[in-house]
Amino acid sequence: MALLKGTLDVLVLKTLSWTPMHAFEITSWIEEKSSGRLVVEDAALLQALHRMEGRKLVAAEWGVTKNGRRARYYRLTTTGRSYFRAESERLVDHFDALTSVLSARKTAS
Amino acid sequence: MRPGVARLFRLPLRSRTAIHADIDEELEAFIASRVEDLVARGVSADAARAEALRRLGASLESVRDQLHHSAEVRERQMRIRDYWDDFLQDVRYATRGLLRRPAFTAVAVLTLAIGIGATTSIFSAVNTLILRRLPYAAPDELMTMSLTTPDAGGRKGRNDMVWSYPKFTVFRDAQSVFSSLAVYSIQQITTTSGDIERLSMEFVGATYLRTLGVAPIRGRDFDPRLDEHADAEKQAILSDRLWQRRYNADPTIIGKTINLNREPYTIVGVTPAGFTGLSGQSEIFIPVTTRPGKGDLDEAQSHEFFLVGRRKPGVSAAAATAAVRVLGGRVYSAFPDGRFGNGAAWGATARPLDDVRIAPLVRRSLLILFGAVGFVLLIACVNVANLQLGRASTRRREIAVRLAIGAGRGRLVRLLLTESMLLALAGGIAGLFVAFLGVHALSTLNPAVTSRVARFTGVGSVTLSLVSLDWSALVFALGLTAVVGLVFGLVPALGATRTSVTSAIKDGPSARGSGSTTWRRILVVAEVSLAMVLLAGSGLMIRSLSKLLSTDAGFDSRGVLTARLSVTPGAIPRDSMPLLYAQIVDRLRALPGVTDASLAACAPLSGGCNGTKIEFKDQAPADFSQQPNVGVSWVTPTWFNTMRIPLKSGRAFTTADRVGAAKVVIVNESAARTLWPDGHVLGRRIGVGQGGFSDGAEVIGVVGDIRQFADSVAKPDVFLPYMQSPSGRMIIFVRTAGDAAALGSDLRRAVHDVAPSAPMYDVQTMSARVASSTAQARFSAALLALFATTALSLAVIGLYGVMSLAVSSRTREIGILIALGADQGRVRRSVVGEGLGLVAVGAVIGIGGALVCTRVLRTMLFDLTPTDPVTYVGIVALLAAAATAASWIPARRAARVDPVIALRAD
Repeated sequence: MALLKGTLDVLVLKTLSWTPMHAFEITSWIEEKSSGRLVVEDAALLQALHRMEGRKLVAAEWGVTKNGRRARYYRLTTTGRSYFRAESERLVDHFDALTSVLSARKTAS
Repeated sequence: MRPGVARLFRLPLRSRTAIHADIDEELEAFIASRVEDLVARGVSADAARAEALRRLGASLESVRDQLHHSAEVRERQMRIRDYWDDFLQDVRYATRGLLRRPAFTAVAVLTLAIGIGATTSIFSAVNTLILRRLPYAAPDELMTMSLTTPDAGGRKGRNDMVWSYPKFTVFRDAQSVFSSLAVYSIQQITTTSGDIERLSMEFVGATYLRTLGVAPIRGRDFDPRLDEHADAEKQAILSDRLWQRRYNADPTIIGKTINLNREPYTIVGVTPAGFTGLSGQSEIFIPVTTRPGKGDLDEAQSHEFFLVGRRKPGVSAAAATAAVRVLGGRVYSAFPDGRFGNGAAWGATARPLDDVRIAPLVRRSLLILFGAVGFVLLIACVNVANLQLGRASTRRREIAVRLAIGAGRGRLVRLLLTESMLLALAGGIAGLFVAFLGVHALSTLNPAVTSRVARFTGVGSVTLSLVSLDWSALVFALGLTAVVGLVFGLVPALGATRTSVTSAIKDGPSARGSGSTTWRRILVVAEVSLAMVLLAGSGLMIRSLSKLLSTDAGFDSRGVLTARLSVTPGAIPRDSMPLLYAQIVDRLRALPGVTDASLAACAPLSGGCNGTKIEFKDQAPADFSQQPNVGVSWVTPTWFNTMRIPLKSGRAFTTADRVGAAKVVIVNESAARTLWPDGHVLGRRIGVGQGGFSDGAEVIGVVGDIRQFADSVAKPDVFLPYMQSPSGRMIIFVRTAGDAAALGSDLRRAVHDVAPSAPMYDVQTMSARVASSTAQARFSAALLALFATTALSLAVIGLYGVMSLAVSSRTREIGILIALGADQGRVRRSVVGEGLGLVAVGAVIGIGGALVCTRVLRTMLFDLTPTDPVTYVGIVALLAAAATAASWIPARRAARVDPVIALRAD
């Protein structure tokens, strides 16, 4: 299932709210948590990470993976954290509303 | 921590290659991780790699390029934002800093404003009047030719003589260096179409407009063949001004006729707007071969034409001049003139039109003013430098603190740069304001000043009224002061960034580099010497002006109204002229309030009428070159009375001195003294080279001297009676007991009654004529005085600054002196003495400079030498007084130092 527009940023921020990760860890984590239902396109993820770095929502630093490979680790900044809170609330609220509309049943008249 | 401070610690931005390398590495690592992951799940290495690339969503290259591109855009935005933030912060900081020191800021801005504004306005005038290209096509090719007379009787020959038409024709037919030549003669003519009016006009060669490269905007130019056809139809080209003014821009004007001196002329064209001939005043142009009374054109000794020509392409000005010199000999041999004897001959010479565009006197005064204003700008720069040095020394601590908390030197330099720029900007805006005022004042100067420019020397179309603000000058002056401010603000500041941080912080503001103090002293000495030069110049001009104003002109101008009157040649027979004179005078005398009325050919202080040679008829004839020069004027009998010029001996003219009676003349005292040193004047006979008096006339009276020229003392003059020598050129002089200016309309009506065909113009009180005669001198003196005052003020400010600093940095030393028993007077004297010492050094250098520089004033001074001791004593006294005042305040502060506080301070 492809991602809905505008949800990628929030998903990434959510992922990073646990711990700093590098890009592949992020995409693996999202797939795992959604049991493979959400598939993030790799190019889009990298673009999103860089874009959010520019907006200072995340910060990046080079680190070493458990396999001994150099990787760029992203962590949530203070700005990123408050952005994530506001945005995830908005999104949850949005889907909630969407769900109640779509799941409404026809009542007997 | 405020964000601004945090910025000072910001990590340096990454380079482009570093950014790209980061992205590439991250991308590779990402793919490698996925491959690793897939392999761990049992996929083969090759298949894993293919799957990783597929999952990427696009080709590796395009993903990489996309990431590179967006990273660059981001980086650029961040960089701009950072610079902008830094800039705003610098501006805020600098503004606060400047506002916190209002005295420093005000003085600096004022200094800059004066320096920039004055330089710009004077340069604007210099540019318009001297530098800017003349408003004609390819003006560099235009030259003006004149005849020259040989040196005679120890007197240098003239090189600016005008041409007669026959001499011009000889020259024209023989020359081969000019592609086009045209004579022109500046005249006045009376039009009787509609209101009778006197018009300024030029009689011109038919190729005049073509030579200048000016084409009529309406109608056509004159046919070049007109120069040959003396019997051609009478025709005229109007100036745009006359067409607008008198014909209300009538579109059907071409082909209409205009009556000039009672003869009809067909209007064939209209010149472009703004073109008023080389005289700058001409409203109508008439081919010289179709003018009234053209018989003069055959007269080889009737010199009246200026000559302008356009060089052929490839002929240099020097080559043309050489050719003209050679042709001068040919012209002379065609019309020899034995007057100079010894084979001395007239010649001819040529000059680029540009060289004669304004009168030499005006050019000179302008260049002098420009030099003076350059000094002001220099002093302004020195003062700004001085102020910046003073600031820099108090700033070392601040800079050290900033360095200590980690600010980069580049960042500090940028901050100081911003401050200098802000100061320059404020000074520039204020300077622009000053320049606008200055240019406006210059362009609206008394027209009498500009008409002097326009008179017979120079290209009259170049006048002060054309002066407009010159932006390049403004930018130059602004740039110069900004750079100076910057250099003197930055160099010491940079020096400060190199000093040991701890010592500067520890020692505090009292530890100052002795280097900058020495520099400031040198600058003060420089300022004082520059100011001294300006003071000397303006002092001399003011002394000269006051002499000029206080020197008796020899007549009483109060209550006298004057007006020019012109009788059209031919309108009244020459024999009837004396009757007309008598009628005009009688009619004017009858006006209520008028006590006396008379006529004279020219007004005093206006440059005289004519000059000529005289012969002593009761002595053996002398060689022409030995004959004395005198000024000549024509008067009616009571003119001396009207002007209250005293009769020293003999008698005045009477109505009995008329045509047919024995010819008589009156001389002034200068003439009496120089012509007849033995004192026997009355009854002597002289021949006067004008007015039909060359046969001889008896000297019947001596009158007091009057000054005919505004800028020189009285010279020998001879007066002829109108009644014996009729002339169409008249100025009315009316004396009234009341307000002379109020008499204008009565005067106009009275003249109209008696002589309806004679236009009256140029109505002015004699007092106004006197005032305009000194306008040029007053103008130069006033501006020089203004510049000198400015220079002196700036120098005094500089001195005050240096002395204040000297006192405050030596508080401790002074405290010790006082503690050891020095009294207040001694402390004061030592401080004032130090200030005066600096000034004395500056004054000595300045006087040396002034003695050199004021030589250029020599020809502009009235009855005064440039080394006038009174002036020098005066300005030295003024300078000493100003310097004492400037040192007095710091001296008083020094004397009040409390030794206990001073010694405890550190």
